Amino acid sequence: MRGFIGTYGTALAGLAVFLFFVVAAPNFANPVNLLNILKQVSFLAILGIGFTFALTTGELDLSFANLASLAAVATGGLIHNGYPPALAIAAGLALGSAGGVLNGVLVTRVKVPSLIATLATASIANGCAFFLTAGVAFVGRWDPGFVALGRAHVLGVPVLVLWMAAVVLIALFVLKNTRVGFHMICTGEAEEPARLAGIRVRSMKVLGLTLSGALAGVTAVLLTANLSSAAPTMAGDYLLTAIAAVLLGMTMFEPGRPNVLGTLVGGVVIGVLSNGLILLGADYYVQDIVLGLIIIGSVALSASTLKKAAFGV
Amino acid sequence: MTPTGEPILSVRRLAKRYGAVQALAGVDLDVQAGEVLAICGDNGAGKSTLIKLISGADVPSEGEIHLRGEPVRFVSPQDALTRGVATIYQDLALAPRLAIYQNVFMGAELTRGLGPLRVLDKRTMIDQASGYMVQLGSAVTDATRPVASLSGGQRQSVAIGRALRWNADVVIMDEPTAALGVRETAQVLDLIRALNGTGKTVVLISHNMADVVAVAHRVAILRQGRKVIERPVSGLDADMLSHMVMTGREAA
Repeated sequence: MRGFIGTYGTALAGLAVFLFFVVAAPNFANPVNLLNILKQVSFLAILGIGFTFALTTGELDLSFANLASLAAVATGGLIHNGYPPALAIAAGLALGSAGGVLNGVLVTRVKVPSLIATLATASIANGCAFFLTAGVAFVGRWDPGFVALGRAHVLGVPVLVLWMAAVVLIALFVLKNTRVGFHMICTGEAEEPARLAGIRVRSMKVLGLTLSGALAGVTAVLLTANLSSAAPTMAGDYLLTAIAAVLLGMTMFEPGRPNVLGTLVGGVVIGVLSNGLILLGADYYVQDIVLGLIIIGSVALSASTLKKAAFGV
Repeated sequence: MTPTGEPILSVRRLAKRYGAVQALAGVDLDVQAGEVLAICGDNGAGKSTLIKLISGADVPSEGEIHLRGEPVRFVSPQDALTRGVATIYQDLALAPRLAIYQNVFMGAELTRGLGPLRVLDKRTMIDQASGYMVQLGSAVTDATRPVASLSGGQRQSVAIGRALRWNADVVIMDEPTAALGVRETAQVLDLIRALNGTGKTVVLISHNMADVVAVAHRVAILRQGRKVIERPVSGLDADMLSHMVMTGREAA
C-alpha cells in the first residue's frame, strides 16, 4: 500500500483537485474549458518533456523558455516578412536546437555547471530575442497553413493536443525502448559506472540538453502559430510551470526520477490548478504562490536527482 | 575448478611510476587458467597499481601484459572487458536505482529488430540476467528488482553478472569483502567458488587472510612494488599468511 501511495499518490491527489474543481468551479467541467486546459497543457508538457530529457542525463536546463521565445520571434519574424513557412519553421527548430547544443558544449567541454551555463544561455537568448524584434511583437495576418499548425482541429481534437501526444509517445519510446535512451538514463543515474561501462556520457549530456532546446523550438513554432504573433517574452511564463510539471512528475510513477508520464500528468495537474483557480475567482498572483508551493512540495518528496544535477550531491 | 598450469594472463617486468613514486617495480606474474589467485600485500605494496594495469584502468610505464599468450595493451577497462578480462571494482560501479538486468547489460544492451528500428530486447536481457543470478547461486533471481533493494553480497552477484555477460575468462575482484559483514562475506566466498566452478579464472585482491585461505589456490605477495612470494595456499593458515605479508618472507 505504501508503495502504491508512493507511486500514484500525487496522481490521485491531482485527480482529487480535478474533481474538486468539477464540483466547485463554475463552467470548469464544460468540454470547451477542458479542451482549453489541454491546449495550455500541451505547451508546458512539450517544454517539460525537453527538461525531462536534460534532467534524465543529470543536467538542468533553465534556458528552454527563453530559447523558445527566441525561436518564436525568429519563426514569427520570417513569417511576418513573407518568407515560406517551411523556412520559418526550420529556423525556429534550428535555433532552439542550437541553443541546446551550446548548453551541451558549455557543460561537457567548458565544464560550466548546467545551472550556470543554461542561465547564461537564457540571458543571451533573451537579449537576442529583443534584438530581433526591437522590443515589439510581430502580429499580423499570417499564412493560414502555418497558423493551422497551432489552431486546427483534427476530428474535433485540437491539433496542439495531437502534437503533445506525439511528443509524449516518441519520448516514451526513446527512453524506454532504445539504447540511446537507456544510455541517457544510465548517465543521469550513475555517471561513473556508465562511463566505466563504455557509455559516452558526455555525448549523452549534450544530447539531453539538445533535445531540451529542440523541443523549445517545437513549442516556439506551435505557440507562434497558435497566437499568430511572436513576442520576445512570449514563452517566459512556461519556465516555472514546465519545471514544476517535471518536478511534480518526479513524485509519481517512477518516484525520484524524471519521467515522461509523470511530466505529462504533472502538466495536466498544473493546467487544471491554474484554470480552476481563475474560474473560482482567485487573483492571478495566487497561481504563482500555488506554483511555488508545488515546487517545494515536489522536491521535498523526491529530490535526489534534482539535487545531484544542481549541486552535485 | 582445477588450475591447468597454463598461464592465461601473464605480466613481465611490469612497472609503473607516478611522478617520483615507483608504485610497481618490475613484477613478473603468471595467472593460471582456472585458478583463484590471491594478491596480497600491505597498503602501498602495489596491489592496486597492479590491478589498474591488468584491468585497463591505467597503462604501464614499462613491461608487458600477455593474454592467452598474446601481448596486449588495454586502453580502457571496457577494452579489457571486451577481450575477456572483467574487473569488479570495490565500489561495484553499479547504478542503485536501476534494475539488476539493466546493470548487468549496461553499455552492452541486447537489441532486436522492430521494423526498421532496433529496440531493447528487455525480455531476453531479463532472462539472461536471471540465469546469471541462478548460476551464481544468488537468492535473488528476479532481474527486474532494483539494485538498491539488494544486500551487499547480492550486489556482488550483479557485478559478477556483468562479467558473465561478457563471457570474461578472467575476473578480477578488488577487495570484494572489504565492506561486508560475516554472513555476506561467506556469501561472497561462495560466489567466488561458484564463479571459479564455471571455469572462470579469478584474481582476488584481499586484505582478509582468512578469505584467501578459504578460496584461493595460490597467493602472490607484493611488498614495496615487488613480488616477494608466489606459492600455493595449501598448507598455510591465515596467521602464517599475515606474517608473510608483514615480513615479506616465507613462514618458517
